[in-house]
Formats: sequence, structure tokens, C-alpha cells
Amino acid sequence: MRLNGIEIDNVPAELHGMRLLDYLRTERGLTGAKEGCGMGECGSCTVVIDGAAVTSCLVLVGQVLDAEIRTVEGLADAGHGPLQRAFVARQAVQCGYCIPGVLNSCAALLDRVPDPDDEQIRTALDGNLCRCTAYNRFYDAVHDAACERRTDQAGQA
Amino acid sequence: MTIPQTWVGRSRPSVDAGEIVTGALEYVTDRFPDGVLHGAVLRSAVPHARIDRIDVTAARSLPGVHCVLVADDVPVNALGPREVDGPVLAETCVRQVGEAIALVAADDEDTARRALATIELELAPLPVVDSPTAAAAPDAPQLHPTGNVSGRISFSSGDVEQAIAPAVLVLRRNVTTPSQEHVAIDTPGGVAAVEDGVVTIWCGSQNPGLHQRKVARALEIDIADVRMIANPVGGAFGSRNDDPMPVYLALLARATGRPVRVHMTREETMAAGAKRHPFWTSIAIGFDATGRILGSSVRAVADTGPVITSGPNVMKTSGEMSTGPYRFPVASFDGTVYYTNNANAGAFRGYGVPQVAFAIENAVTEAAHTLGLDPMQMRIDNALRGGEPHSLYRHRVTDSLAVRATLEQAAVHPLWTDRVSWQAQAAWPWRRGTGVATAIKGVGMGSGTGDAARARLEIDGDGHVTIWAGPNHTGQSIQTTYGQVAADVLQIPIEQIDVRVGDTGVVPESGPTAASRSTYAGGNAVRMVCDELVRRCSELELPLQLDPEGTGTKLVELGEATYEQTFVLPDTDDIGLVPPEDLAKYGPHRVYGACTQAVRVELNTLTGELRVPELLCVVDCGTAINPAAMIGQAEGGILQGLGLAIMEEHRLEGGVPVTTSLENYLIPTISDTPVMHVEMVDSTEDSGPFGAKGMSEVVVVPTPPAVAAAVMDAVGVLPQTLPLTPERVLSLLEEA
Ligand code: FES
Ligand code: FES
Repeated sequence: MRLNGIEIDNVPAELHGMRLLDYLRTERGLTGAKEGCGMGECGSCTVVIDGAAVTSCLVLVGQVLDAEIRTVEGLADAGHGPLQRAFVARQAVQCGYCIPGVLNSCAALLDRVPDPDDEQIRTALDGNLCRCTAYNRFYDAVHDAACERRTDQAGQA
Repeated sequence: MTIPQTWVGRSRPSVDAGEIVTGALEYVTDRFPDGVLHGAVLRSAVPHARIDRIDVTAARSLPGVHCVLVADDVPVNALGPREVDGPVLAETCVRQVGEAIALVAADDEDTARRALATIELELAPLPVVDSPTAAAAPDAPQLHPTGNVSGRISFSSGDVEQAIAPAVLVLRRNVTTPSQEHVAIDTPGGVAAVEDGVVTIWCGSQNPGLHQRKVARALEIDIADVRMIANPVGGAFGSRNDDPMPVYLALLARATGRPVRVHMTREETMAAGAKRHPFWTSIAIGFDATGRILGSSVRAVADTGPVITSGPNVMKTSGEMSTGPYRFPVASFDGTVYYTNNANAGAFRGYGVPQVAFAIENAVTEAAHTLGLDPMQMRIDNALRGGEPHSLYRHRVTDSLAVRATLEQAAVHPLWTDRVSWQAQAAWPWRRGTGVATAIKGVGMGSGTGDAARARLEIDGDGHVTIWAGPNHTGQSIQTTYGQVAADVLQIPIEQIDVRVGDTGVVPESGPTAASRSTYAGGNAVRMVCDELVRRCSELELPLQLDPEGTGTKLVELGEATYEQTFVLPDTDDIGLVPPEDLAKYGPHRVYGACTQAVRVELNTLTGELRVPELLCVVDCGTAINPAAMIGQAEGGILQGLGLAIMEEHRLEGGVPVTTSLENYLIPTISDTPVMHVEMVDSTEDSGPFGAKGMSEVVVVPTPPAVAAAVMDAVGVLPQTLPLTPERVLSLLEEA
């Protein structure tokens, strides 16, 4: 698998039956992925697998040996620094436990749709529960990030 | 002298936001220290049974298992000083589904779970007390030697029936509000380790000092040998007040001599975690022709489950708030909390207020409708004003109380003024309605309780200031708020100040993150300790602002680099009718925050589906030290109130939970979330830091009755039972 851009060969066979969430947290030290339910309902374990936001508590390591996986720790390198900064600047985080999953859902959306509208953001985040905030600032942060990325690209062009 | 303000009143991202968005922030449940063992808890699957035998021989001999603990292995098997606090591990009987019976620590989680499965348990079923009514029955099984009544509080300021005799309208109504689960997205857990005789526990807590005492009691060790490090944690909302997890962790670490980690599953948390108390509330209230309240009498019954936790304290708050944010001459309250074999109930944001508020706000909504009055204006006319006597206890409330201003501001908002035209635009099968409700809630533990918070400050030779203060943060980023207060008092750049909270090893005891007290109480302690440094610097003629380094160096040399201050929350100036010797028992507040909400509801007359597209919230929180953080708190609180209003109910049948996971217990998602307009009114609390008071609970309170009022506006029937699920809405429509 490729994990945050790094090739990982030869994942030992005895780990193939492990949940990807546990593998990330305990074997790779990537504790940004959080567990909130273990059954695909809360979205706090969301990572990006081959471009799609997926709940890592429902995935086994053996299923993703050939996949490209990105966690919250790999967001900045994947060009999502603007998204991270927007969540901070918009004060869109409270306890923050849901945020890695939320950011991964947003990043997967932005990779597909550079300038998403509210409806697309809502659909992308419908599987992410947050109990502290009321989600509203997530829209603002995603719009800010989309705008900054556009401006950056325009600057580079 | 007035201090020029620089940071207070400016929105500032929380200090740990940067680490949150990179995944770097290490929550207590993210710790995997070297050599860590994994713990698990054996829990009762039945609501009430006698324990005839527990055999852990097989579990103990399973390879990879390091310890198995049962009641006998706990030095002092008690979660508190009273029998009704309950045991750490069930000893002679189990009294609820999810009650802890045994603890295991093993090399890995799988082994720990397998060990649990080998424990032999012989249970003899006992009759289940599944409601307060069952608990009160003369032949009910007694859940404690003291009986099935967990607490009772009553007070009367006069003869209510006489007061309402001349009323043109008397309403006698019963309302029901459900058990609600906190659903902090992080479930309880953490790590404990013993080193040099000191047990350190990394586990979320809203009351680290209390948890420190609980651990010391159960392990029979000195309180100085227990250190609680209570953050970062993924949400709390009350659930980390009574949580026994720190005790489990400490026991396992001590028994194995190794660090031990536990992280409860969502299913365990759904069954065993404390809930919002379900209430059955009745009200008798009289109005004159102009809509003035003449008197009210409220009776409330709550189900606290098998152990006491916060039961009677919740009811104490219900009592004080049973008159709502209104001023009228005579009131009475009578509240009883029962033990049952249902889910234990404890602290939950709002703490007994949403339940009684639903009764009084519904009554006001109905009265306005019946008397043909504007529901907003009727509330304005009845609103309690700053400095006036509270309707039940007749104690003096703070001058800053601005409930009336919140109503007046809501009254001119387009969401309210356009309600008729908005309603007219509904298209079949949808109906539309707009509703309003308002509430107040006390800040702090109340008069007579000796509520206090502390802060310690140290300046170093670089002029860098560290402040250790409480209460802890569980997601509010209270450290950021404390830093803003400190920077403005010290008049030094905020980057030069570090604030630490939530670690009993270094933070002086400051009480709980509860009762909307953190900004007010902790912020005041921070203000005081900073004042003290400023005062000392000026006595010594040290230029703290111009030369922090030199000043710090000098103070270190003089041995005057550390300061500590205690802020004792002031009692009300006039305790009214409350007997002085009972002041703490009733705990009337001096300071209150207020909130008015207006809500739009769309209701599908065919399916019963209820949508809340837009909502207005006007808050009286005094000075907002970090406005965007305050608004964020309001929005999150509103959404929890909305969950209570339309979808959340922890249900049990015969003491057995029916809602067992996030598959069958639903909370609001982004799609359920309305557009929210949160506004503040101009108010200043003289006794608060820079004029601030608390607001994070009161915002939960108006949402359910405002939704109910909007439903009545839409379809002409006022719901008296929450939550308003599609089935309930459909049956309401049949009444209409
Ligand atoms: S932990 Fe994976 S969805 Fe909740
Ligand atoms: S910020 Fe706490 S759960 Fe989302």
C-alpha cells in the first residue's frame, strides 16, 4: 500500500485481518484517525482510500494492500494546507475529535470537485457526526479552502 | 482605573486547533505507552439480579491475561462516601444493564475480551423496577437500604391555588421529556500507570479533583499519590462528571504494575454511560386577561437509575428554574428523584432545566394562543428583570440579567417578523410554523455552596508567564479564554502566556467544568492572579509591560515569581425566602445567563417528517470574551437541544436498552442542521471577568419548547411529549 505517499511493502500476513483503523493507530502511530463507534456510523475514523472517503473501522488491512491511503497526517503534503488553515481560522473546531474524519471527507470532495457548493459539501459530510459544533462553519471553511486553492493555482499559472 | 482591552472581545482560534487539524493532538485515548496492557470491563446484560457466583479461574489462567479483578479485589469498593454512590464493581447484585462486574487487563484487546467471555457468572433474576411509578409502588423491590427515593426538594413561596383563583385562564398540563445520551464522539477511556507509588491517570474528566478523590478512596491510597490528567478529550457535555473510568484504569494499573489502556466501545457507553434524566413534569399555572402570570406550581418526577450520581442536584436546579425566566408573585415546586433499574442518569448540559422549561414554556405558548396574545410580547411582559426577586425563592437576581433584551431583539428579527408570510408559502403536504421560547440558567454552583476556582501564575526569567487554572476544558478551549483575560490584565502579548488546565498535579483545585461556570469562575481566578502580579510589579516599580524579561528576572531573584489566587463565587445579595441554614440546599444563583430562540418548522402532514430549516438564537452572556467561540458553543448547544426536541430518546423496555448504538440512537447530522443566526445582547456582569458570565447550557433549553410552539403554529396542536418523531407528529395530526 501507499500510506501518505510512502510505499509500504510486505505488511505481515498476521496483520491482514486487522481493521485498518487499528493498523493506522497502533502499527503506524497515525492516531489522527479516531474511533467513535466501530460500525461505520460516526465517521471519525474516515480516511481517503484511492480518492474516496472511507470509514477505516470497516476496512481490513488485507483489503487495501494495493491501495493509496491518506490520513489526516498526510493532508498538508497532499495540498490541503488551506483546508486545515481554514478550519482553524473559522474556529470550526471544538473538541476536535471528529475533525480528522471531517477533514478527510472534505479533502476527498475538494480533490473531485475543486469548487463545491453547499449541497455537495452537505452530501460529503453526511456521514461525519460532530457533537460539539453545528457543522455550519464546515461549509465556510471548505469554501475558504477552495478559494485559496484557486487563488494559489492562478498565481502559479 | 479601566484597563484598556486588547484581546478580550476578539475572536481567537483555540490554542490547540493547529494540532487538531494535523492530527497531532494526542487525546488521552490516543496514548499507547511502551508495554501498555489492554483492559476490558465485564458488564451486566440484565437490569436486576442477585449475584450468586462469579468464577474467574479460567479467565485468570488464560495466557496473556495479567489480572482479573472483581469486587473483592477493590480495596474500598465504593464510588463515593455513601452507599447510594454505588460500588466500583457489582458485589451482591447488579442493578442495571451495563453495570461493571469485573475488570481484565491482558496483552491485547482480543485476549482481554476472550477472558471476559470465560468468566462464569450465576445470576438470579430479581424483579425489575422499570419506572418511577414502579419505584414508588408500596410493594416495590427496594434498590437501596434507604429506599427508592433518591432525593426530594420542595419549596413554596405562598398559596398558589389562592393566587390563581382569580385567573381568567388556568392550565394544568403534564409534559414528558426523554432520557438523552451525550454521544460525545470520544467514548470514555484512557491510560493509567504507576510510577514511584504515584498513579497517574490520563482520562477525560470534567472534575479532575473529584476523580482524584474517587481513585484515592477506591485504591485506599493518599490523595497526593493520585494524579489526574484530564485532557485532551473528545467532548463531554456532562458525561465526564460521574464517569467511573478513571477508577477502573487506576485499579488495573495498580494490579498489574504496568500501564493499562481502556477505551469503551460505543455500545458499552450507550448502555452504561449516564444519561439526561427523563422527567415527568406537571404544571398548574394561572394567567390574567393580559397574559400576566399570577402563580405556578410545578411537580417533577425524575428517574436517576440505580445510583445517585447527580440526581438530587439536577432536581435542585429544576426547582430553581421551574419558574422559568418570569417574574410573578407566588410559586411552588416539588420534585422527587427515584431509583430504578433503568440507565443511570447524571449530569447533562442544561442539568434539569430543559425538562421543567418544557412545561413552563409550553404553558406560556398555550396561554398566548388561548388568550389571543402575541407569544413574544407576552414573554416580554412577564420577563424577570435584573435586580428583581426570583419568583420561587424571592432572592435577588443579578442586575445583568437581560432576558427581556434577548426577547426584544428576537422580536424584531425577520425570522420572527416575517412569520406569517413565510407560513403562507408552505406547499402541500407541508405545513409551516414559527415558535419562540426563552430561558435562563444559573452560573456556578449557587449561593451557599462555597463554589470557588483557583489560579496559579509563574513568571520566568524570560518574562514568560505560565498560568495553571481550572476548570478543565473538554472542547470549549477554555485555555484560550483564560489566555485572553490574562493578556488583557497583564498587558503583555498573548503569545507570552501559557495556560494549563486539567492536571491535578499542577493545577490548583478549581471545581468542575459544569454549571456554566468555567469562563466566569476560572476567568475571574485568572484575572485575580494576574491583578496580583500587576500590583506587585507596580509596588516594586518593575515595568512588566515594557521589560518583561528584566521584570521576570528580578521577580525570580526576589523569590516572588509565583502567585496564587482564589475566586469565591459571590452569593446573591438577598437570599429572599430561603432560610439561611438551607442556603446550600436550594443554592439560588446570583448570576444567570439567558437565551431566547425563535424556530421555523416545516412539517409533512403525510409522513410526519419534521424539518427545522432556520433558527434564531439571542444570547445574554455578558461580555463574550471570545465571540466566535461563544457562538460556536451556542450553535452546538442548540443542536443538542434540537436532537432532544425531534429525534433523541434513549429507550428501554423492562430495564433493557432498546437504543444500543448509533445505528438505532440517532443524533443530528449536517443534514438535520438548520441555518442558525446567533446574536448577543449588550450586557455586562459586574462580578464577571471583563463583564462575562456563562452561557453554554442555557442555549440548549429554549430549543425544544420553541420547536413545540412552532408545531402548534403549523398544525394547531401543542406537543407535550418529546422527542417529536414522525410517529408522534402523525398522532398529533390525528388530534388536530
Ligand atoms: S469509528 Fe468508524 S465510523 Fe465510527
Ligand atoms: S468538534 Fe467535538 S465532535 Fe466535532
